[in-house]
Amino acid sequence: MLEVSKLCVDYGTTRVIDDVSFELARDEILTLVGPTACGKTTILHAIAGLVPIAAGEIRLGRWQASASAAIPPEQRNTGMVFQDFALFPHLTVLENVGFRLKNNAQADRWLQLLGLDDLRHARPATLSGGQKQRVALARTLAHEPALVLLDEPLSNLDAALKDSLRREIREALKAAGTPAVWVTHDQEEALSVGDRLGVLHQGRLEQLADPESCFSRPASRFVASFLGEANFIPGRADGAAVATDLGAVTAAAAVNGEVDVLLRPGDLSLTLAADAGNGVIESAQYEGETWLYRVGLDAGIAVQVRTSHENRLEAGSRVIVEVNSGQPLATFERGR
Amino acid sequence: MVISLLAMLPVLVLFGLLGDSPEFFAARNLGLLANTLSLVFLTVSGSLLLGVPLALLTAYVRLPWSRLWLVLLAAPLAMPSYIGAFTFYAAFGPGGEIENLFGLTTPSARGLPGAALVMTLYTYPFVLLTTRAALLSQDASLINAARTLGLSLPLSLWRVALPRAATGMAAGSLLAALYAFSDFGTPAIMGLDTFTRAIYVEYNAFGLEQAAMLSLQLLVIVGLVLYLESRISATPERPGRALAIWPDTWQKALCLAAMALAVLLATVLPLAIFSIWLLRDGSGGFEFSLAWNSTLASLLAACVAVALALPVAFAAVGGRLGRLLERVTYLGFGVPGIVMGTALVYIGLQAPFLYQTLGLLVFAYVLRFLPLAVGSIRSAVERLDTSLINAARVLGAGPGEVLRRVSLPLTLRGMVAGAALVFLEAMRELPATLLLAPTGFETLATYLWRVYEAGYFGRAAVPGLMLILMSGLGLALMLSGERRSALALIEDRRE
Amino acid sequence: MGSLPLAPGIGFAQSSKAVPVDELPPLEGELTLYLGRGEGGLYENVLAAVEERNPDFTLNIRRGPTAALANAIVAEAEAGVRRADVFWAVDSGAIGMINAAGLARDLPDDLTHQLQPGFRYPQWAPVTGRIRTLPFNTERLSADSIPAAVMSLPGSGLEIGWAPAYASFQSFVTAMRLLEGDRATADWLRGINETATSYAGELGVVMGVERGEVQLGFANHYYTLRLKSGMPDARVAMAFTNNDAGCLVNASGVLALAGGDLPIDFIRYLLTREVQTYLANEAFEIPLVAGVSTPQGLPDLDRIAPPEIDLTLLADLRPTLDLMREVGVL
Repeated sequence: MLEVSKLCVDYGTTRVIDDVSFELARDEILTLVGPTACGKTTILHAIAGLVPIAAGEIRLGRWQASASAAIPPEQRNTGMVFQDFALFPHLTVLENVGFRLKNNAQADRWLQLLGLDDLRHARPATLSGGQKQRVALARTLAHEPALVLLDEPLSNLDAALKDSLRREIREALKAAGTPAVWVTHDQEEALSVGDRLGVLHQGRLEQLADPESCFSRPASRFVASFLGEANFIPGRADGAAVATDLGAVTAAAAVNGEVDVLLRPGDLSLTLAADAGNGVIESAQYEGETWLYRVGLDAGIAVQVRTSHENRLEAGSRVIVEVNSGQPLATFERGR
Repeated sequence: MVISLLAMLPVLVLFGLLGDSPEFFAARNLGLLANTLSLVFLTVSGSLLLGVPLALLTAYVRLPWSRLWLVLLAAPLAMPSYIGAFTFYAAFGPGGEIENLFGLTTPSARGLPGAALVMTLYTYPFVLLTTRAALLSQDASLINAARTLGLSLPLSLWRVALPRAATGMAAGSLLAALYAFSDFGTPAIMGLDTFTRAIYVEYNAFGLEQAAMLSLQLLVIVGLVLYLESRISATPERPGRALAIWPDTWQKALCLAAMALAVLLATVLPLAIFSIWLLRDGSGGFEFSLAWNSTLASLLAACVAVALALPVAFAAVGGRLGRLLERVTYLGFGVPGIVMGTALVYIGLQAPFLYQTLGLLVFAYVLRFLPLAVGSIRSAVERLDTSLINAARVLGAGPGEVLRRVSLPLTLRGMVAGAALVFLEAMRELPATLLLAPTGFETLATYLWRVYEAGYFGRAAVPGLMLILMSGLGLALMLSGERRSALALIEDRRE
Repeated sequence: MGSLPLAPGIGFAQSSKAVPVDELPPLEGELTLYLGRGEGGLYENVLAAVEERNPDFTLNIRRGPTAALANAIVAEAEAGVRRADVFWAVDSGAIGMINAAGLARDLPDDLTHQLQPGFRYPQWAPVTGRIRTLPFNTERLSADSIPAAVMSLPGSGLEIGWAPAYASFQSFVTAMRLLEGDRATADWLRGINETATSYAGELGVVMGVERGEVQLGFANHYYTLRLKSGMPDARVAMAFTNNDAGCLVNASGVLALAGGDLPIDFIRYLLTREVQTYLANEAFEIPLVAGVSTPQGLPDLDRIAPPEIDLTLLADLRPTLDLMREVGVL
């Protein structure tokens, strides 16, 4: 459906998007994630035609846009959901949702599906944040776009609402059978809503894969750190076998020489040691289901370890830190 | 309250000047009324047709040299419209300068169409500046939403951006209308019989009483227009990052051509015609100190006007009475300059030690042009998010500190726009300058008038150019203040 | 632009009653002049030359529309403030207004007698004159097809341009009222109004005539002379009527508001042979002291036969405006 190839965007003389390519299958949801100012919103605006592109191509269905052949936004048949909802304040909910519709069948359908039936004659100013975003989504989907672009749709909502609305939006997109690009800076959101995940860093796409691969086999240290807490443990690799201070582990890919092994806090375990052990607990943070400990290893580095909430240890205790993951682990060459 | 009443003073003086005026109403005034209203209607329509697209261009479209263009487009406000009217009259038509130079016969600019055209060219910057400010304060996402929903850009602007800028457009139209009501030179040169012309005939025939009476009659209509304008309101919304439109090469050329045409007609044409005459009958000397006098008095007036306008603007947002008082300050702007100038002489004479000093001249400018500052600041205050003020109060700031650290910085754009309008109007102000400036204090506007009156048009070229130049400099100065405030509001423009 | 020969030692051989500047007492002290309408630096040149010749004399000038300055003088007098010592106005109407308010001082006889007979007034001095003319387009009209009496213009079939809102024109109508009566004037206005084209000012009238928009117009003489000085081949010439309002000579005038010798002596300077010659040559104004010749391009006053009329009566504009309104030309 959507095909973005070698996309570049400049603001003045600064290149903000650099050589980004990806494709989207029918009804696939792609999440783009990255820190503030990584260019993720700019990619959405480029796809929607709201900023001009400097190089590359964007293709969706029957149209194809390039630096020399711009297509105006209104001819692209893309829908967009905005962070601040962008509801027309002078129109009612129904008028917003049916903004460009000749008949209101689709508007009625989506108002009903998203539970907005009672609000159809309300003004946007009277709605709660969650209601506003549902109206915005209904408006987008009712216009039957070939592609939906979501620009941090949940960032203006409170945490309790985020979870349910995230699921609701995903279901609605699947029900509409429309591919979507969903931009967020929230890693949890990124991992849970998308069929695939793209991680952006300084205008470049660092990794594009299914969420699980991105998390467990990140393409770079940046991706590894951005998607969750990461420990990098030095080791010496000989093929798939890597010797570390925490014992021998298996690498996901064969390498040789000095490497850092990526160990998530959950890949490690803690046991209280009477007098031996290989580290000391520096701090502890309660997370409800789990405890997150920071442990200073005798080898001179600090690691984070997540344990079940039953495993209560005092700061200052000596502990044995072990690798408890059976999975092959991601490794990065030292100095890269 | 006090300030509004102060602005009311000249109008009250008019009542005093009435004496036992014999003639209250004459049937022929109906004809004048029809002409005046037609002129005002066409001027406002023209200003909107020209000013709103230019506001969209300067607010949203990314064009090279955008600041310079804005300054050039606003500069006609500093040019007295009689200068424009006269050059249009001389340039167009059979036997006009355009025919003399290029052998091209153009239709002559006369009567109602001619007067409306010229008036439009010298009032559209009112609409341009107020509409631009309103457009810049709108967040781009609504337009983007409309476009991604399949609405074309022009239609999105028409249906989504412009309705929300209605108050801005109305404020500019009001100023254009008041200018059209009060201007004398343009309709006189174009041969259109309006209320102001009747007022001038009376005035010049030493019928000050009748002139005052006619002016007050005119004020009734002005009051009606003021009421109508106050009915236009918009729903408040949070300001955000303004829309940016990147045109492709030929669109860019088209935009630039449109702006160039406006600049060409409103400023280049008069300067060119004067230059032709300058070449034809040789130059007289010109003192550059005049430019300094103009700029100094106008800058002072702009600063004082903004300072006095702030409380009026805040009061206008505060309640009904404040709103009424704010409306009242506009009345003086609808009175023909020469009558207003004489009223100001009477006020100035109440303080003989100040009479004909620079201080009093600045005060007179402020009294005349206060509404320009009040209007701009009021629209900025209206857009102020009250939660910000509450936040500051909760943080322990007193009302004074809130004003100084929150409200004022956030209305800076409005203050800058107001100062710019007062500055430009004061640059072209004539009657009050002639009567109230210190003796021997000459400005660019009084010099232009002097050589124009005597028919030495060539000598208008250099001061005309200086007027545009100094106005441009003053505007650029004020706009740089605006830019600083705008940057502070947009921290994350990269994303 | 010519320079003004006021410097000592430069004088013309003289055989007239006009006083050469050398015979005047030097001016000392400070004087404020309200100058009604500036004449583009020519009056300024005169004033600058007077100042230059009198090193101990400081002249402060306020320029403005004549009516506005006259109103300001009256307002100042009402408030007990006097800023202007001397008032120099381009038209005699404003002079009449100040006179009527009783603010002008009497002038000494020896001063008023420097002026030509018919221009001697006790409380003000005419400085220069302007004459009403009929500018006509030389391509569309010949001089001998223009009637010699202004009253025979209605019904002549000529295309006429006028500026009824212009002060000089209104003075001309006032003169017609005084000479011919209200009724004849009303008929005349109606007759012209049937076919006339209106202009904002009389410069506009002369330009309209030159362009050929109309065949003939009503205007003060100097607009034509100035237009021709910038454009020597302009298609316009002047015709004069005979001993009626159509060739009225009106004057700019000066009056003293402050006491003492200084204002009077200052006025004497304006009536010197040098100043009068200069204004005639450069501003195309008609000198009103005897023995200075009229500007080039204008016949001598005694060959034109203007009507005899008290110029202060021209200040009475009210009935004129009422009449013009009644007829519908204003």
